[in-house]
Amino acid sequence: MVMGAMVIGIWALAFAGGFMQSFLTSYIQSAIKHETSNGQVHHPAFTQDYDIQYYIKDYKPILAFLAQTKAVESVTSRSLVNGMISSSRQATGVKIIGVDPEAEAKVTGLNTLVGEGAYFAGISSNPVLIGDKLAEKLKVNVKSKVVLTFQDLEGNITAGRFRVAGILNASSVSISESSAYVLKSDLNRLLNIGDNVHEIAYTTTTGTDDEALARKIQSNFKNDKVESWEEISPALVFMEQMMASMLKILIVIIMSALAFGIVNTMLMAVLERIRELGMLMALGMERSKVFLMIMFETIYLSTVGGPVGLMVGFATVSYLGKTGIDLTDYSEGLEAIGYNSILYPTLQPMDYFQIVIGVVLTAFLASIYPAWKAIKLKPIDALHTV
Amino acid sequence: MSTIIKATRVSKTYHKTTVPVRAINNLSLNIEEGEFTAIVGPSGCGKTTLLNILGGLDQPTEGKVEVAGTDISNMKDSELIAFRLRNIGFVFQAYNLIPVLTALENVEFIMLLQKRDRKERHDRAMELLGQMDIADKANVKPSQLSGGQQQRVAVARALASKPRFILADEPTANLDSTSTSNLLDLMAKMNREQKATFVFSTHDQRVMDKARRIVTLQDGAIVSDVKRQ
Repeated sequence: MVMGAMVIGIWALAFAGGFMQSFLTSYIQSAIKHETSNGQVHHPAFTQDYDIQYYIKDYKPILAFLAQTKAVESVTSRSLVNGMISSSRQATGVKIIGVDPEAEAKVTGLNTLVGEGAYFAGISSNPVLIGDKLAEKLKVNVKSKVVLTFQDLEGNITAGRFRVAGILNASSVSISESSAYVLKSDLNRLLNIGDNVHEIAYTTTTGTDDEALARKIQSNFKNDKVESWEEISPALVFMEQMMASMLKILIVIIMSALAFGIVNTMLMAVLERIRELGMLMALGMERSKVFLMIMFETIYLSTVGGPVGLMVGFATVSYLGKTGIDLTDYSEGLEAIGYNSILYPTLQPMDYFQIVIGVVLTAFLASIYPAWKAIKLKPIDALHTV
Repeated sequence: MSTIIKATRVSKTYHKTTVPVRAINNLSLNIEEGEFTAIVGPSGCGKTTLLNILGGLDQPTEGKVEVAGTDISNMKDSELIAFRLRNIGFVFQAYNLIPVLTALENVEFIMLLQKRDRKERHDRAMELLGQMDIADKANVKPSQLSGGQQQRVAVARALASKPRFILADEPTANLDSTSTSNLLDLMAKMNREQKATFVFSTHDQRVMDKARRIVTLQDGAIVSDVKRQ
């Protein structure tokens, strides 16, 4: 029973930990991939005022530096402005993003989000990509005309006529409802900012310390502001911390259930052997030895059950980490809040180590009460127990 | 012969119910070294209570019990445990062997508690099992032994610690007549040959017939004390 509780406890912890980690990883990776990238560079005033005059003064050396940095996987640059998008039926506020299609595809995989139409193709001039929700709101389709209106560098209201090249299906609210992607060259021409950009975004290789890399880039370009994804989106960090807290709570709940299971089983073991324990004390076995005997029994069972549970947990997480947990039945809901419909549980070696330590410690603590109950027995009473 | 057990004006009152029950009433008893004594009497006369008090498993409400000159009446629990280990052997009605250990290991166990070395434990346990005619069952677990064989292992275990005396509470109560006779013959042999002192409670006439001293209790007091040659 104790061994079974150990096996199930460790397996449950490994699986629950891996599952929750997959949720977190899915959410953060999705947000990094499509929104923040691993890091961004701006003019220091741009992130506060979001004014088009705050473009990066000399962005090409930054691109060159990033291209030479091993940890940087891909880089793109963007020009940005807030404005209005209007169709013949509706108008709404929108963030207009001027992109380099090829580089943007590498960094954000924007091309993969195109549901209808094509990725900046099929339209001879001024193509624009908009999200599905925005298209619905404006009541436009692929090849429909829309007008983008905004202020240029001199503060003049300027407008450009664009044609919808593609409609994006994205879980991100900002992409699907309030973004319009145009060619950087088209936007820069209308903004009258020449070849300048407001934002450089980059992705990094797996295992990179994004925070440290941001500091390194910052030290090379002191006039600009370099931020990692944690600084760009504190909400993601909060999400990560919240998930970590939830995992801890889950661990406490599972450990508590495990502890009750062990206490119950070991108490039963003590009660079943009440005569035997009474006899041992009658013959002359010290109470401290009886106490240690019960403790060691539990620890022995834990050390046997622990590795078995660990192997089963490792096998489950490894298998599901490859095949994924298919939640396509709930995909609409999951994608709406930024998760993938297939989750891949994962756990680090340290997580397994912590689980084993936690379970063995729980078993140890849980065995104290039955052991204490055993030594409180009076031999004379225990011997006459039927 | 010297006095091994000296109980003086011992009383035991239980307060487990609303009405106090006086199980032992102002009883005095001396047991000499090498005696083979049966404590007899009807059910509820106080036999088991007396044995528990003499064995240090229970303490008297009044009076004093000395074992080999040491007053055990007011000993602390931890002291009593150590005292029992060194001085008293127990044989229980229900054998109470450790089910996961073999007969040999059961006999060795008490010597393990006494911290005797492995060879001494093994040799003495085998010698005792041989004397109890169950050496061939040394490596058998209790569940595979008959009641009589289990009780012989229990007697060997009681003797293994070289106690000053052995207390046996209804040792033959669960045995058939043949096993009872065999066990009593072996206990009597150990008494004769090794001068082992036995004090046992019984209401079995066959056991009483083998005893050389019969102490009869009634209502917690001795009503007769007969010694036979």
